[in-house]
Amino acid sequence: MSLLRAKAPRSREKRLDTLGAWLGPVSAASTEFAGDEIAQRIRTFAQSSNDDLLYALRILAGIRDSVTIIHGPRGCAAAGLYHIAAGCNTRWFVTNLDERDTIMGADRKLRKSVVALYRRYHPAVVFIVGNPVIAINNDDIQSVVEELHEELELPIVPVYVTGFSSQNAVSGYDTALHSLLKYLSGNSATALKNERINLLSVAEHPQDRKDAQNLLKQLGIGLNVIPDDSTIDQFRLAVSARASIPLSPDAPEYLGAILDKKYGVPLINVLRPVGVEGTGRWLKSIATFLGNEEAAEELHEIKSAEIALQLGDFSLKGIKTYISLSSANAFSVLDLLEELGGEVAGLTITHLDRLHVGHLNELALRNPSLQIHVSDGQAFEEISILRKLAPDLYLGDATHLGQVARLGIPVVSLESLAIVGYSGVVRLARRIKTALANSSYGLSLAKVNSPYQDAWFRRSHNWHIKQEVK
Amino acid sequence: MSHHLEGSRNSCALHGALQLFEAIEGVIPVIHSTSGCGVQHYLGVTRLSGGNDPFSSPPVSSSNIAEKHVVFGGGSRLREQLKNTVKVVQGDLYAIVTGCSTEMVGDDIPAMAREGREQDWPVVYANTPGFSGDVHHGYHLAVKALIEQLPGIWKRTGEFQTRMVNVWGIIPNQDPFWRGNLQELGRLLEGIGLVPNLLLGSEQGIAAWKQIPEAALNLVLSHWGKLPAGLLEQLYGTPSIILEGVPVGSAAVPLLRRLTEQLKLDQIRSEEFITREESLLNHQFARLADSYYRAGFQREFVLVGESAQVAGIGEFLGKSFGLLPRMLIITDNPPDNVQEALADRLSSIVSGYDTEVIFSEDRAEITDIMRTSDVQLILASSLEREVAVELDVPFLALSFPLDDRIVLDRGYAGYRGATALLEDIGSTILAFSRAWHVC
Repeated sequence: MSLLRAKAPRSREKRLDTLGAWLGPVSAASTEFAGDEIAQRIRTFAQSSNDDLLYALRILAGIRDSVTIIHGPRGCAAAGLYHIAAGCNTRWFVTNLDERDTIMGADRKLRKSVVALYRRYHPAVVFIVGNPVIAINNDDIQSVVEELHEELELPIVPVYVTGFSSQNAVSGYDTALHSLLKYLSGNSATALKNERINLLSVAEHPQDRKDAQNLLKQLGIGLNVIPDDSTIDQFRLAVSARASIPLSPDAPEYLGAILDKKYGVPLINVLRPVGVEGTGRWLKSIATFLGNEEAAEELHEIKSAEIALQLGDFSLKGIKTYISLSSANAFSVLDLLEELGGEVAGLTITHLDRLHVGHLNELALRNPSLQIHVSDGQAFEEISILRKLAPDLYLGDATHLGQVARLGIPVVSLESLAIVGYSGVVRLARRIKTALANSSYGLSLAKVNSPYQDAWFRRSHNWHIKQEVK
Repeated sequence: MSHHLEGSRNSCALHGALQLFEAIEGVIPVIHSTSGCGVQHYLGVTRLSGGNDPFSSPPVSSSNIAEKHVVFGGGSRLREQLKNTVKVVQGDLYAIVTGCSTEMVGDDIPAMAREGREQDWPVVYANTPGFSGDVHHGYHLAVKALIEQLPGIWKRTGEFQTRMVNVWGIIPNQDPFWRGNLQELGRLLEGIGLVPNLLLGSEQGIAAWKQIPEAALNLVLSHWGKLPAGLLEQLYGTPSIILEGVPVGSAAVPLLRRLTEQLKLDQIRSEEFITREESLLNHQFARLADSYYRAGFQREFVLVGESAQVAGIGEFLGKSFGLLPRMLIITDNPPDNVQEALADRLSSIVSGYDTEVIFSEDRAEITDIMRTSDVQLILASSLEREVAVELDVPFLALSFPLDDRIVLDRGYAGYRGATALLEDIGSTILAFSRAWHVC
């Protein structure tokens, strides 16, 4: 019980020493994380970056038959339009708080909204999402949740994100997942376990999720996928599952840990199924748990042969690539590029913490001088780094790819490219081949100026990253 | 009391101010708020306006305040951010905009801007918390900040220009066709010998904003342009011509004549220009007549968008193109008196035919109304695609948000815009009809 008692989990920086700003060789990162105390860093110049609210919305967008009420001013719901355009399951609402509401409080308004939307849509669940205004005002969402839950006999799930209490957006995944488990999963597992395996898929590309599901189905594994594209019943089912396997060791970390520690569903610790070897390792990890290693081995061999045939003589030999991705994704893409014969020029990752120590230590042995840059959305630092490193190719999913392309570097966006599983390798290889084959668009972009001062490019890349003074 | 909204297409004041500042070349917005405000703006506004993104990224400077700034105040963080923005980002003007959090905490923004100016940095500020209003309010706050604060940075040097006209009321990205619309309006003004001061878009930088006081006239194209025009009348005595919509096609004629008369332009030149433009448009009509009749273009339609767009496009389609405006749904929340005037004007576009004029910004309400409309053509935002599919009628997305179009220079204003509109509506109907072809 105590594990889910709080309104929201502790932030990632408090739980895992997560850093959102850092620059240095991987060897230094490895050394720093070998110590007990990790100093938080801040930026003295910053650019917009994701916050916990935006990451929580990504998760809620995937829950079927749901209504999401952002209890705040209009702008806090802007990303809802983006999710509608991308095709989402939830319906987006904003309570549209005005100046008066910020002074007087707005729980009456919230209550009216919940009742109206319940009557109109009869959803399976209603989410109420916090934001800076509600957090600063300390609006009483909880009593609305409790009263209306009884009155309407409807699950109402408050998600206490704030926009400022964590400097790492990834904490927003934890906050959303915390609430989903707390309000939808019940206090304990049912006595009778089911035979399913939880596939933990958090804000993944739908094709990535489907490819992973298909592979597991080929091994005859019955799945319960949460939270992406799931129903609320699946959260109840999840706590009695046989085990959980994550699609990434990072985004679903909190979900896997709570399922394990509170409900006794063992978590299989494995890296992302990206690349031929990575996918094989992922399949074997679950097969080993189920005592079905041979089938996984066989599937891996068949698939690897197929992929080798499809890749033909494709090789990244001599191509230096810069990677800028969410952390777990970046490390697994690094392995994939090396598998394809390429070299990695450097990494920008959204955050760095104790979950990544294995990668850091392994890379510190193999490639100690590899530079790691920790940043979410700090394009000015990345551009400065890229000007110096001048890689042959850039792989990323950030919202500033257009700025990178103005450097004349071929760019491949992973925002809407599925790269999980065996077929993901072929998709990525094809996209890279295309990007490298014709750089004429990039050359045109290179004629448009960068938004930055030349003086900035003469500074060290980490000029604006400082140790936090408490 | 404000009401909850589904799929709100009018974002907050901060985002409205950002849209305005980002549309002026050389202006660098400095956001003083939590880190996500700029990303929300990028994902939920910029990305859904057809591709109008000056930096190829979210806004390039944001103080990203943390919990300690909420508790102890964020003034020092803004001071640091502003100082470093000037060093890192190239700009002619730095515009501080604020979010809800820093306004609730009570950071002293004018003091920070003043400190910046004492360092000789060109800095303006606008208090733009999201709770203070929607994008239209944000547009107001931003233009007001520029009109009031620029003269304090740069002394007025230019002379009064008898032919110069400031153009107000087109809100960047909230009108996805703003660039093209402004360019066409500029072309029309030039056609009769005027010098347009468009203020927004390509090659429109601080120089354009500095010469605002020198203009002979303000041309206001929507309710939202009345505030800056009124301000300029007070400050400099500049008169205004006020339209409640962007003129499309022949609606430009009365405007061009009025401008000619009011600014004492060469009447012969203006009439020649009008005749040439009218003749070109009539030829466009004639060229598509075969398709028009064959594919049954003449339909009852519903149009959803901002008042400036709905008035202009609705009147053009009804008065010049033979279409029947069944329902006009206006989404930008103009004040009551403006709503009444618009309803009066737009309910009888086609004589003897009743047009319903509705004001709503709620996706659910708009969808419900459309379901009852029995129309044969839907011109709306991408949020209405779902109901268009359900009703199985041709659908063209032309108002914000747009998720399936790239808009660079395309516009629906004036004569060229009328032609573009004919192309887009015609193509939409033809593509839809093709789906019914049976071999």
